[in-house]
Amino acid sequence: MLHAEFTDSLGDFSLHVNLELCSETGVLFGRSGSGKSMTLRTLAGLRAPSSGEIRLDGRTLFSSSSRVDLPPRERKIGLLFQNLALFPHMTALENVAYALPPGRSRSEAARWLARMRIEGFEDRLPARLSGGQRQRVALARALAAEPKLLLLDEPFSALDGPLRRSLRRELREIRTETGIPILYVTHQIEDLCSLGDRVFVIRDGQTAESFPVERLWEKGARGEAWSALGWGNLFRGRITPCGEDCACRFEGERVSLSLDGGAHTPGESLVFVAPDKIRLLYPDLPIDPDLGGNLFSAVVEETTPLGGSIRLYLASEDGVLWQAEHPSESYQSLRLRPGSKVRFAVPPAAIESWSGGLQ
Amino acid sequence: MLPPLLLSLRVLLFAVPLLVLLGGGIGWLLARADFPGKGFVSLLVQLPLILPPSVMGFYMLFLIAGNPLLKSLGILFSFPALVLAATVSALPIMIQSARAAFASVDRELEDAARTLGKRERTIFRTVTLPLARRTLLVGLALSAARALGDFGVSLMIAGNIPGRTQTLPLYIYNRVETLDFAGAHAASLLLVGTGFASLYLVRRLEEGRNERRAAC
Repeated sequence: MLHAEFTDSLGDFSLHVNLELCSETGVLFGRSGSGKSMTLRTLAGLRAPSSGEIRLDGRTLFSSSSRVDLPPRERKIGLLFQNLALFPHMTALENVAYALPPGRSRSEAARWLARMRIEGFEDRLPARLSGGQRQRVALARALAAEPKLLLLDEPFSALDGPLRRSLRRELREIRTETGIPILYVTHQIEDLCSLGDRVFVIRDGQTAESFPVERLWEKGARGEAWSALGWGNLFRGRITPCGEDCACRFEGERVSLSLDGGAHTPGESLVFVAPDKIRLLYPDLPIDPDLGGNLFSAVVEETTPLGGSIRLYLASEDGVLWQAEHPSESYQSLRLRPGSKVRFAVPPAAIESWSGGLQ
Repeated sequence: MLPPLLLSLRVLLFAVPLLVLLGGGIGWLLARADFPGKGFVSLLVQLPLILPPSVMGFYMLFLIAGNPLLKSLGILFSFPALVLAATVSALPIMIQSARAAFASVDRELEDAARTLGKRERTIFRTVTLPLARRTLLVGLALSAARALGDFGVSLMIAGNIPGRTQTLPLYIYNRVETLDFAGAHAASLLLVGTGFASLYLVRRLEEGRNERRAAC
């Protein structure tokens, strides 16, 4: 079990981390620049925090009060770097063998490579491996050192969809087999949902909240959990029943939306729209009637590429900043740039609402 | 011609390990360590590269002769002075190469080795050094060639004593003075050959490095 509570600063950025991780996969979720990588480096012992305490399985790795600061080599914490940090002058097998604790035979390294499904590539230098193979070698190397905790710093962010999925599956299997707790850093919601047991939200250098990942799927808690992640469009307002064509309407301070019938309770409530549900409209194509009347015109404020998709911040005419996520390929055909005008729709079926817990 | 040649080679035999240790060490410090006055030190160690060798030699002569302790060691006008002259004039090249070589090694690779349970010494031997090796060897080839060809500093602090401190470049000077052009030609050709050989070696090393990089 990992217990970490520390503060640190770098220039005018300050970091305050509070984490408790049992034998599970924790996801440290936050935007770039929120202090995720710095947290991992501190846990691994590559940075000394200014104060605090880090304990792993009862061992004190760092404690400012009792002046303990174990060097990385004594911490038994594996770290998978974002750019993998494979040794370029060593073959795949040598890279993995390098990590073996003293006294182990090289055949063990070969077994790790086989476990990660990269037999036949043992003698290749990292430069001659594909992106996915390099990830597997790096993972095999991190595991060969027999860590008590495995930290991953967005290692799959450069890979495309199917590869990411297969590596995530691999990682889940490894977690189950070895029982090693894993702390996974990501800013991608996909990774979070498919890998994590528990989410630690980190915002501007502060670990703000932590909750089990299932909470994201619980009806009634979802929007708040999502909005704690800083992801999604959450509005507060009032649901009113209206005419026959649409069962209800949501009236917020600046946003009003047509809702699907049935699942919404009239009264004070919160509505949530997941960014990937927002549909950008192609200017020259007719609008799908199922999208209903929730059409908005907006200006693109900011675009953030996230691997297979792109995150857009859209400022609508009524002054609301919407978050949308869009597959990269179709995004390119739209040729959007900050400042471009765009029209988007919020499909009524994608709107969730709940009134529980509202005062 | 044989005694000056042998003497030059003997100087090299002592100067090369000094270049490796001093040049490599200072280069590493400049690439990796942070200390007050680092900017000044990095300028200072480059000074021998641009100062006229006679000026360099003059100051060294003055410094050694003026310091009773150094003077009592009997360095001046002897074999150690030749080694000192060759080392000092070639050191900036070695330092510059070593600095570039160590700076080119990705620090994250060393961090990765740390998290894999390795000690600093092991990391230096297994990660840093192999990755910096080619650039280090390039620096060594260039600085050894420079050490072999030193004239000005050697003349100032070791003199030009035939049989004792007359290295190949000084020998050439003497041959020309006595109008023995055939002897000067022979010795010069030898140095030109050595120069070519070391440049060729450098090119091979650099090509090898580029190939390796191209494969990445």
